[in-house]
Amino acid sequence: MNVLKAENLSKIYGKRSSLQVKAIDNISLTVKKGEFIGVMGPSGSGKTTLLHLLSTIDSPTSGSVEINGKQISSMTDGKLAKFRRREMGFVFQDFNLLDTLTIEENILLPMTLDHQKIRDMEKRLMDVSRKLEIESILKKRTYEVSGGQMQRAAIARAIIHDPSIIFADEPTGNLDSRSSEQVMESFQMLHEEQEATILMVTHDPFAASFCERIVFIKDGRIYTEIYRGDNRQSFFQDILNVMSILGGNTDDFQTVRV
Amino acid sequence: MTFRQFAFNNVKRNARQYITYFLSCMFSVTIFFMYAVLVFHPEVMETEFRESVRRSIMAAEIIIFVFSFLFVLYSNSTFVKSRKKEFGLLSTLGISRSQLNRLIMMENSLIGILSIILGLAMGAIFSKLFLLTLTNILELGDPLSYYISPLAIGITAGAYFIMFELNSIFVLFSIRTKTIMELFRGARSPKKKPKFSWILSILSLLLIGYGYYLAWTADLISIIPRMLPILALVVPGSYFLFTQLSVALTSLLQKRKSLYYKGTHLLTISDLIFKLRDNSRILFFVAILSAVAFTSSGVLFGAFYGLEEEAKKYTPNTLSFSGIGNRETVEEKARLVSQELKRNDIHYSAHYSQLVKGEIPELDGSVRFLSLSDFHIYQTMSGLEKLKLKENEAAILLFPNDHREDQVPGSLTVSIQNEEHTFAVKKVRNNAFNSRYFQSYLIVLPDQFYEAYARVSDPEQTVHLHAIEIDGWTSKTDEIQVALQEHNLRHLKVKDDIFTENRAELYTGLKQGFGISLYFGIFISVLFFLAAGSILYFRMYQDIDYDLNHYRSLYRIGLTKKEMKNIATRELSFLFFLPMLIAVLHSSFAFKALQNILSASVLLPAFIIFGGFLGVHLINFFIVRNIYVSKLKRAL
Repeated sequence: MNVLKAENLSKIYGKRSSLQVKAIDNISLTVKKGEFIGVMGPSGSGKTTLLHLLSTIDSPTSGSVEINGKQISSMTDGKLAKFRRREMGFVFQDFNLLDTLTIEENILLPMTLDHQKIRDMEKRLMDVSRKLEIESILKKRTYEVSGGQMQRAAIARAIIHDPSIIFADEPTGNLDSRSSEQVMESFQMLHEEQEATILMVTHDPFAASFCERIVFIKDGRIYTEIYRGDNRQSFFQDILNVMSILGGNTDDFQTVRV
Repeated sequence: MTFRQFAFNNVKRNARQYITYFLSCMFSVTIFFMYAVLVFHPEVMETEFRESVRRSIMAAEIIIFVFSFLFVLYSNSTFVKSRKKEFGLLSTLGISRSQLNRLIMMENSLIGILSIILGLAMGAIFSKLFLLTLTNILELGDPLSYYISPLAIGITAGAYFIMFELNSIFVLFSIRTKTIMELFRGARSPKKKPKFSWILSILSLLLIGYGYYLAWTADLISIIPRMLPILALVVPGSYFLFTQLSVALTSLLQKRKSLYYKGTHLLTISDLIFKLRDNSRILFFVAILSAVAFTSSGVLFGAFYGLEEEAKKYTPNTLSFSGIGNRETVEEKARLVSQELKRNDIHYSAHYSQLVKGEIPELDGSVRFLSLSDFHIYQTMSGLEKLKLKENEAAILLFPNDHREDQVPGSLTVSIQNEEHTFAVKKVRNNAFNSRYFQSYLIVLPDQFYEAYARVSDPEQTVHLHAIEIDGWTSKTDEIQVALQEHNLRHLKVKDDIFTENRAELYTGLKQGFGISLYFGIFISVLFFLAAGSILYFRMYQDIDYDLNHYRSLYRIGLTKKEMKNIATRELSFLFFLPMLIAVLHSSFAFKALQNILSASVLLPAFIIFGGFLGVHLINFFIVRNIYVSKLKRAL
């Protein structure tokens, strides 16, 4: 069953034809339920734009996005926002936690905005915080916890309302290697135990090696796809190989962490 | 690009950011200049312009300057704070401390000079209007000519230039101590959880409550000594109200889960706690400024509005002539004036009566008796209900604010031809006829006893009182004055053989005195109020970048634009109207104190003042909200 289906997506910036830049050029992509998919590519290849198009934050110049069988392009702004908060979970590079709220309040925010019952909220909160091992920091404020803890709290916020799909935009981009590993293990746990559907944009090959499938894009088009076998170590090597073929500027890639 | 060009371009290209700061500077220059034009106006300087008027203009000028100094200092420092990040960036690029100082000084001087020039131009335009209204209020015959003395221009430009430079130096000191990294982080340092103390929260309620109690129960005598204690209670009370109690109450809301975890409440309340904490001093300042503006303009307006009633209270008849033992003179003068009035087609009613001298053992010294029927006629003339006296009752008349009230005996004995009559005493405030002439007690006796007493009293000691009540007197004050002038009856003292009491004189005098105070008072109040509004505006402007980030985060996780608009409106209206609510409460109690003193109702003036100021504030609010919301929408 397809959770997300994008067909012939294009995004063109600029109005006059001479100045137009194709950020995304005719990309089609489907994500099945329970899939953990990575999107990689050099800087400027359009991976973040693609994520924005798929997650309805930005709208495509042409093409269509369908989530859970619903056409996104036909929705109004207000409906889209509500759709986002019910059907999608977001994890960002900069965590995007509100510093006026406690960790607990941040996690509960999507359910609160949807006027859910307090008892249900508390049950879900216990559930996700136990899984992500952040029970001890629930009452703390954002500035009192580490980056890895913040990102796991952000993951908890992304999954608390049981969304159809989780979008992650460079989730390890601001983290050290130890925290990156913890965060990626959390994603893996969600993928394996909860059968969550995850789409992650990254340029960190270590983080990408946790995915099942990786789509490489270059200059706004799909360049290649690779699938993970049983061994994460060899998958990691495969990723590095594709990356070196893809070229681009190697400075873009962070130092390899194993 | 030279350094000077850099500073110049900074201002030119950031015009939108500088504009509010610039406008408020220009505004204060304009106001100051308008007053300076008046102070150095040759017709004001050289002629025998009333000393009190000149003094109040000077006072207004000084208040405006001190106030605009503080205001510009505040605006400038918030403005510089909002640019911390920019300064941090410049520091990392290697700008030296002295260069940064020079940059800020140059920018400020540029803005200062521009606002002085434009402020002078605006002031020159509005001075015309200002001089005209002042001419009207002072009821000067010839209007003040439109003349701007070079001295006024020089002093305004000089004073403000020095002020801008001084302010820049102050601001430089305020950022001097901070390191580059602190500058770079700017407002982005983490927000700690706001703390509050229940003790101080409760203390704030107690302080304000006791201050209110003192104001509520004040009267004419106790208000003056109570003024300072009330201020000393209410001002710190309000400070704690904003810094402690407001946070305490919102924290209570946070504890009620069913309310807190519902829809956008979570965001609104948690945001508000931080905003209240961050802005508590500003809100306090705005509340006090507005309360001062409301109270001073309300008290002045209320007093002005009640002048007619106040004049009536002290002078129940429009005109009266009184004299001792000279019936002919009194009647003659009254006749002449009446003729004059008739000639001018002025309708009036009049009554002549005799007040005879008597002795009462219970009251040391002499008293004067008036017959009940005479008193009734005066009461009817003043539109009052008739006093009812029983056979064995007499009324002692008390003056307005008479302090002898407690010394009045319960009964009094009148001996007529060796026969003693005892009367029960009724205390009555005399608002029926003019009685400033009398120093002794006035006693109203039932007619038959008065007649009996009058027959034996010394006619040389009898006071003859001729009182005239003119219909619609307020519009005929000039004619009345002329009529009196004609017969040399205008300025008479008690020791003269005839004493005139003239309400028109009292009224026009009060009206002019209060008119000037009202004009300057309301002018300064409006100034305070506008300043309060722009302080709120600056604050919003300073926070907007942080807020936009905040809303962008929320948008990404699926908050609708409508919800954002609602949250923003709710937060803004809270910040805008909480200080107003407190200011209205504070000044309501001040009006109550005023009501205790005045006889006329201050309800209508109070409503007009509140309505006017709050109407302006509401418009202000909608403008600010629309700017804010449209910025929000554009940023997403």
